[in-house]
Amino acid sequence: MIELTNVSKTFSSGIDALHNISLTIGKEEFVFLVGSSGAGKTTLLKMLYREDLPTSGKVIVDRVNVAELNPDQVPYLRRNIGVVFQDFKLLPKRTVYENVAFALRVTGAPRSTIRRKAMQALELVGMLRRVSSFPNELSGGEKQRVCIARAIVNNPPILLADEPTGNLDPTTSWDILQLLDKINKRNTTVVVATHNKSIVDEMKKRVIELDGGRLIRDQQLGMYNV
Amino acid sequence: MFSSIEFFIIEAFRSFRRSALMTMVAIVTITVSLTVFGFFLLSIINMGNIVGTFASRLDLVAYTSKDLSLEDAAAVQLKIGKLPGVEKVEFTSKTEAWKKFKGDFGSKLALEEIVHENPLPHTFAVRVRNPDMLPVVAKSISDLEVIDEVRYSGKLIDQMRSMVGAVRAAGIVLVVLLSLATLLIVVNTIRLTVIARETDIYIMKLVGATNTFVKWPFIIEGIMIGVIGGIASFIILKLSYDSAIMQISAALPFLPVVTDQRLLWFVYLVMTMTGVGLGMLGGYISVSRALKNEP
Ligand SMILES: Nc1ncnc2c1ncn2[C@@H]1O[C@H](COP(=O)(O)OP(=O)(O)O)[C@@H](O)[C@H]1O
Ligand SMILES: [Mg+2]
Repeated sequence: MIELTNVSKTFSSGIDALHNISLTIGKEEFVFLVGSSGAGKTTLLKMLYREDLPTSGKVIVDRVNVAELNPDQVPYLRRNIGVVFQDFKLLPKRTVYENVAFALRVTGAPRSTIRRKAMQALELVGMLRRVSSFPNELSGGEKQRVCIARAIVNNPPILLADEPTGNLDPTTSWDILQLLDKINKRNTTVVVATHNKSIVDEMKKRVIELDGGRLIRDQQLGMYNV
Repeated sequence: MFSSIEFFIIEAFRSFRRSALMTMVAIVTITVSLTVFGFFLLSIINMGNIVGTFASRLDLVAYTSKDLSLEDAAAVQLKIGKLPGVEKVEFTSKTEAWKKFKGDFGSKLALEEIVHENPLPHTFAVRVRNPDMLPVVAKSISDLEVIDEVRYSGKLIDQMRSMVGAVRAAGIVLVVLLSLATLLIVVNTIRLTVIARETDIYIMKLVGATNTFVKWPFIIEGIMIGVIGGIASFIILKLSYDSAIMQISAALPFLPVVTDQRLLWFVYLVMTMTGVGLGMLGGYISVSRALKNEP
């Protein structure tokens, strides 16, 4: 599903954010991407949905070489990748329903499809009761649920989460991870970048560790620390 | 597709409300520019009309050599009548001309004592179909062997023409400058809403919106600014033109003003569409710039 070959990223500032990374993530896998702050987790995720391009190396997502993708093909790549953020990135002036429907609107989907799929996604994340609330009326955990609903509303085969629990308390974090696990079990490849040790240890999933832009560990049923 | 169009329009209205003050400034600017544009269009059309009307009332006068017989003169009249561009030829024999001249001036000058013989030639008064043909027709008539001289008030017409040309050139320069200034203001207005909606644009792109899709709401916002400015300037211009016509035709009834409704509506339409075009272009430019710097 995801295949990186000798991927390096050097920013114009000279910072070596990724250094010669090679890895493969299979269909429907659940993977934790761990490492301290500045290790290159976010940069790696950005390579996958082409928010940024690698300086060298090959990034293949869903059989497509992302780096060589024609710019007008990028939107179609993105419709196959859901992205969840630490700061949720919800649109403040739109309701929960509108925020989720937004992701379908921009694909030009017909109105009836938009409604059906948005409601399904909101039901899956347990936010059906709050459809007409605005983001500032929600708790952090609820915002993250809406953000996840927006990411999966298109039924993408891949879901990327960048520190999804960074702003949440431990119990809520655990709930969010359960939700991501549930989505993974519905045939979605899930990659979670995090430095939440207790969750990684508890979930016992594959763990890929970065340090200073280098891949230093790739372990099945791993723990946060070796 | 229908749900997308609805989405674009709702999004455009959102932007509209968000930067209401700047939008008002843009609308006023576009209104002023379009009104000036329309004013110049109407002025040029009217001046052209005046020149055309006066010019078409002007005749060419051709003088024959003095000793031409009446029969030959009749043949020349036929020949002139067949020249391209000639509408009408009127012949005045030298006898008629002399009689008229004496009638006009004879009593004052005691002509018979000074001039014993008729000194005047036969004349042809020629009217052309189209004032632009005057120089050409004049040339072909004076090329005829029996014609001594051709006169027409070409200088006056040429002066009027060059005045119209100058106004037109000044109008074009002014309209281009105003259009650029207007475009700049529309671009900056919509840029404000683009900046205010950076997160929206980011999310749209993130969830797979094409650039075209992202651009439409901003283009529609520009079109709305253009439409409102276009309609406002249309109202201003139509009211002022109609009242100006009334006053001019009361004060200077001999002046031919353009009242052809079809032509006037065409001018108003061109003006309004220019506004819509400027607005659309402004929206397109400002959002395209925002979308440019991405990998
Ligand atoms: N746009 C950028 N320009 C320059 N340097 C950057 C940029 N984004 C990230 N970096 C640098 O790249 C390194 C990796 O950053 P990041 O991928 O955000 O780490 P993480 O997500 O693991 O905390 C850091 O040193 C960071 O300062
Ligand atoms: Mg990060």
